Amino acid sequence: MLNRFMSRPALQKWLQTLMADHQVVAPVRVEGLVLFRPVKGPEEVALDYRNTTMSPKEWFFPLSEAIFSYRREDNKVILEPKEAPQEVVLFGIRPCDARGLAVLDKPFLQAPADGLYAQRRERATLVGLACREAGPTCFCDSMGGGPGDASHVDVLLTEVKEGYIVKAVTTKGAKLLTSAQVQEGETEEPVLAGLRPVKSRGIVEAMRRQFDSDYWGKVADRCIHCNLCAFVCPTCYCFDIRDFPVGERIERVRSWDSCQSPAFTRIAGGYERRPSKGERMRQRFAHKLLYFPGQWEGVLHCVGCGRCVTACPVNIDIREVIEDVNALPERAATASAAEKGGDGRA
Amino acid sequence: MPSPFVPHLATLKAVQDLTPDVKLFSLEPLDPQVKESFTYKPGQFAFVSAFGVGEAPFGLTSVAARRDGMEFAIRRVGTVSAALHDLEAGATLGLRGPYGNSFPLEDYKGKDLLIIGGGIGFAPLRPVINTVLDPAHRAGFGRVTILNGARSPADLVFKEEFEAWAAAPNTRLELTVDRGDGKWQGRVALIPDVVVELKPAPANAVTIICGPPIMIHFTLIKLKEAGFADGQIVTTLEAKMKCGMGKCARCNVGDRHVCLDGPVFDFAQIKGLLEPF
Repeated sequence: MLNRFMSRPALQKWLQTLMADHQVVAPVRVEGLVLFRPVKGPEEVALDYRNTTMSPKEWFFPLSEAIFSYRREDNKVILEPKEAPQEVVLFGIRPCDARGLAVLDKPFLQAPADGLYAQRRERATLVGLACREAGPTCFCDSMGGGPGDASHVDVLLTEVKEGYIVKAVTTKGAKLLTSAQVQEGETEEPVLAGLRPVKSRGIVEAMRRQFDSDYWGKVADRCIHCNLCAFVCPTCYCFDIRDFPVGERIERVRSWDSCQSPAFTRIAGGYERRPSKGERMRQRFAHKLLYFPGQWEGVLHCVGCGRCVTACPVNIDIREVIEDVNALPERAATASAAEKGGDGRA
Repeated sequence: MPSPFVPHLATLKAVQDLTPDVKLFSLEPLDPQVKESFTYKPGQFAFVSAFGVGEAPFGLTSVAARRDGMEFAIRRVGTVSAALHDLEAGATLGLRGPYGNSFPLEDYKGKDLLIIGGGIGFAPLRPVINTVLDPAHRAGFGRVTILNGARSPADLVFKEEFEAWAAAPNTRLELTVDRGDGKWQGRVALIPDVVVELKPAPANAVTIICGPPIMIHFTLIKLKEAGFADGQIVTTLEAKMKCGMGKCARCNVGDRHVCLDGPVFDFAQIKGLLEPF
């Protein structure tokens, strides 16, 4: 088929050009993990990964950062706002993770916009890489996305035999491509990842129906609230804010948090909204599959990247939860995922 | 783009003991422009920073139109409130907000108001009372009954204002304590029992009730027995929160955010919440 494409050497050259005048952040192999890291040379970039171990959300909403700092001077308090972030090219983002950023945009860009997040989004150009191979826990196409979904990137590259099919999705993307050697020519039909479907249709209504089910307590029973699910998630955005002294200054630090933490809702005086693991587990899934779509025109708060499934040390699997909740008879709850144990796929 | 998390600086103009563990803090923004533009309504809250310790949300207990400073009645109960209690007038604090909805006072026009507060729960009710009893607005509302209860006489908040409230036209002030202190001549009774005694008429009336969950639970039963419908009973919800702007995903009760959809809810709305409040 006739396509605009970039040969493999042309991609390496383009990356080199980009690195000369942009900060480029790309997947890099680090001690057995694949992580988004600033890169200086094209040889550092990993191109043969299924997906990164951590999602790229950390480049927009870092794990922990000072959102501003302050110091005392002669009995006065001097506020020191954080410097504006620099322009960045995020190379190699997967369509699911780009969709994850679009999901994070909802709460963070809602007025008043979260300053640092908004600036980073504005100053980032996303070069997406379509997925030719699915990871064992991938299910993006059951959550509204797809392995070749170009909706939330500026440029989409799809690997074929001849190199990469290039799609300039936005003006920003087209501008970035002016320094690339893109040609028109015949390429093979791209083969995209095949995914195991998850029966997610009707999940929002099913979540509402099963809200009071004893299912949640049963699934939560084995949760050790390690919070990994939230930390690897491209859409989880719960955060904590605390003050930490750093020398003469004090930083007000925002850090990732998780609704699975036992003290997450505890207020001064001791009242806790969700004292049990079951209530906290229900909060996680209800936020993703019921509250968020209710607040944001049906947008699910899960993009099907499957990271939480891989990360969970006790095999709590959101794909099973979705199918279980959808399959639970009205008012008469069972707990198949909880009872199956093991990898849950009996 | 300014970060909405960076607070305004404010001077602690005055600190006053209200009870053994509640102080009234009066704040004034350093920047005259902020001082002018920082307006708010009864029921709204703001984050106050105790620099060096952190910040927490507190209900505004003053009336913006009075222009006599922003006031917060804060009980010493957590880390930030304890740090605030240790401050003296003249200290610099951080302030951001206001956040949340407010009591829909326009909807209460022409109605009788029963205002019930327990302990520090009375803090968000004070700006309602001082707005409604303001001579400029008083005629717009019906009969006002104020019920202020606390564990002991010493724990009653806003004692300095009792005289003015009791003297306001068509207004009744009722005080009650769980236990007297030897000198207390007034009522010793639990709030739900006082509500029964007051025989409030539900016709064309609204009840606003704030206080500890146990007090709200039992008072609600009595109000329902007296014929009040869920939509006629209004309260404020409290929740752990970090942002006040619908971003930190911490204060939700079911699919509602206390920071955006609240803190003011009526019980018809609360009954529709998926999670217990």
